[in-house]
Amino acid sequence: MKRLFEWLHARTGYRGAVHVMLDEPLPPGTGWFFTLGSVLLALLAIQLLTGAFLTLYYAATPDHAYDSVRFINSLGAGRIVRGLHHYGASFIIIALVAHMLRVIAFGSYKPPREVTWLSGLVLLALILAFSLTGYLLPWDQRAYWATVVTINISKLTPGAGEIVAGILRGGSTIGALTLTRWYGTHVIFLPAALVLLIVAHLFLMRRHGISGPVRQRDGSPTAFFPSQAARDTTMVLIVIIVLAACAWRGAPPLEGPADPTDATYIPRPEWYFLGLFQLLKYFPGKWEVVGAMIVPGLVAAFLALLPWLDRGPARSPLQRRAIMSLVLVGFIGVATLTSLGWRDKPSSGGSRDSWTLREIGGRVYAQKLNCTKCHAETGLADPLEGGSSTRGPEWIAGHIVDPEMIAPGMREPPATIHEREAAAVAAYARRAARDPYPGYPPNIELIAPVWARYCVGCHKIEGDGGTDGPDLTHEGTKHDAATLRRWIEDPEQVDPDADMPAFGDRLSGEQLDAIAQYLASRK
Amino acid sequence: MAHIPEPPAPTGRRRALVLFVNTVVALIGGGLAAVLGAFTFGSRASASQVRWSRAGTTSDLKPDEPVARVLSVSRVDGWYRARARETVFLVWDGDKTIRAMSATCTHLGCQVQWQSKEKKFRCPCHGGVYAADGTVLEGPPPRPLQTIEARLESDSSVLVRL
Repeated sequence: MKRLFEWLHARTGYRGAVHVMLDEPLPPGTGWFFTLGSVLLALLAIQLLTGAFLTLYYAATPDHAYDSVRFINSLGAGRIVRGLHHYGASFIIIALVAHMLRVIAFGSYKPPREVTWLSGLVLLALILAFSLTGYLLPWDQRAYWATVVTINISKLTPGAGEIVAGILRGGSTIGALTLTRWYGTHVIFLPAALVLLIVAHLFLMRRHGISGPVRQRDGSPTAFFPSQAARDTTMVLIVIIVLAACAWRGAPPLEGPADPTDATYIPRPEWYFLGLFQLLKYFPGKWEVVGAMIVPGLVAAFLALLPWLDRGPARSPLQRRAIMSLVLVGFIGVATLTSLGWRDKPSSGGSRDSWTLREIGGRVYAQKLNCTKCHAETGLADPLEGGSSTRGPEWIAGHIVDPEMIAPGMREPPATIHEREAAAVAAYARRAARDPYPGYPPNIELIAPVWARYCVGCHKIEGDGGTDGPDLTHEGTKHDAATLRRWIEDPEQVDPDADMPAFGDRLSGEQLDAIAQYLASRK
Repeated sequence: MAHIPEPPAPTGRRRALVLFVNTVVALIGGGLAAVLGAFTFGSRASASQVRWSRAGTTSDLKPDEPVARVLSVSRVDGWYRARARETVFLVWDGDKTIRAMSATCTHLGCQVQWQSKEKKFRCPCHGGVYAADGTVLEGPPPRPLQTIEARLESDSSVLVRL
């Protein structure tokens, strides 16, 4: 073995490279504060590795992106790899801010290290670009709507808003062209730039040596390996254990597939953008550009100019009170905005547990309209329930109404279907792809198709339905079942000026009773 | 660049630190390799999915005569769902028993054809010949035609497991 290494060294001189890498001379007193760069480097390496492996399964098209990410989640190790990549991004932001604060506190950006500092700031910008582009890739609701917001913010760029937004979007809307563009940026251009800049950053760090403790200590320089290397390794180990613990539970679950027609979705960015998100709320209307561009621009300019604002030879933070208090105020400001943004969650954001009447009605229609003839365990197509379909609403609507929409001749043309029935089936198909049918009592299954066919156009229950008539969510507090039945049968019989059409001839007595009783029970 | 100091003579402390650094690096590397390896090779299990498909009713069949049916089956290929057309031969005994065979020649994968006059399957590619029950009679095929699980429902519809 020893002879093999001797031979290798004689042919390559590799020990010289190892010597240069590991025996970096460090000023005396270099300690734990100087381990943060190595932590960042390790986290970035994990991010590059997990990211590279995720591309084995990821498909960057609107039709397949969501399915492919869901497939990754379904693999045991896939959940962990995605978890590492997801939480790794957050860990990098934390390590990066800690590293930057250490550099500021120790005055490490002072001459001759100004360019090292600037290269670090460009790295920060690159890493934020990474998280922005990566956020879109799962193509779920969260990804899609966060990107809508990002692109709308980019329109505020003074003088070139539409041009910048157009470049980010790729096409005229956020879609296939946006996804491939952001994917290419995320996996090719940004990593290439990142690696180059990291090499430059490390080269500069080695060229000037590390800055060391703020007050020079006596003693001769010591080599990086093994004492400082052991400190770095310890910190890296601790951070990776915490990261692995987060990743073990897997990345947060996907939301529903991206749905550009869903007007009710309230987008929220990743936590490290919540500060900016919160800031925007204080600058409404035409002042928005101040929050979106000017304030962040001023912060960036301040950071970039720090080595020139903070002249003077002193490195101890105690002798640089003005700069230190400015940075502290800035940090507290960002932290406050972030926590305010964190707390300002929309109250009713979560997903509904119970199915809407329209969805339940859609299930009844799906059975009546022979959908389940093909969509069955033994059928041509996948069953509707059990989480397989991730088609968008437009596709589903087309598929229900137009018999030739997929695979001509493979399915029997359905009987003519009313548009509201089709809408109900579409609502059901989308719901069934996510959640198993919980089962509802027969009276609900009796009235749900009636509701989905006749009532939903004008009335709302629990946020689903039309607005021409009154909201019936709490109808039971206003009328009893008998009045409601008479009203639905023939409104003019109760109130001669009623606008609502009579349903007595369209609904059976059983249906009239059931829907009147149901509405009366809604208190 | 400052002068690079010569590595000091190995001491007990130095040896312990070197061991520590090397162990941790090996552990992290090994852990990552294990997770990423499982990730890379873990997809094979989910590459296919077998389920019962409808293949017509007995009214489409003739007793004791193999009848070719082209089925469109949904194949799960990781995150992708594809439709594949597969030809199966159904052999019905005229009563309660149904058998199904793949039409794929076991030699090099061509599709065999039923010759009703000879009562034999012939492969057009390299002259393989199979009997009506799928056993090899002549030519290069190494194995009989693959049998496919099949069952007859009470409503006389035929299900095959593909």
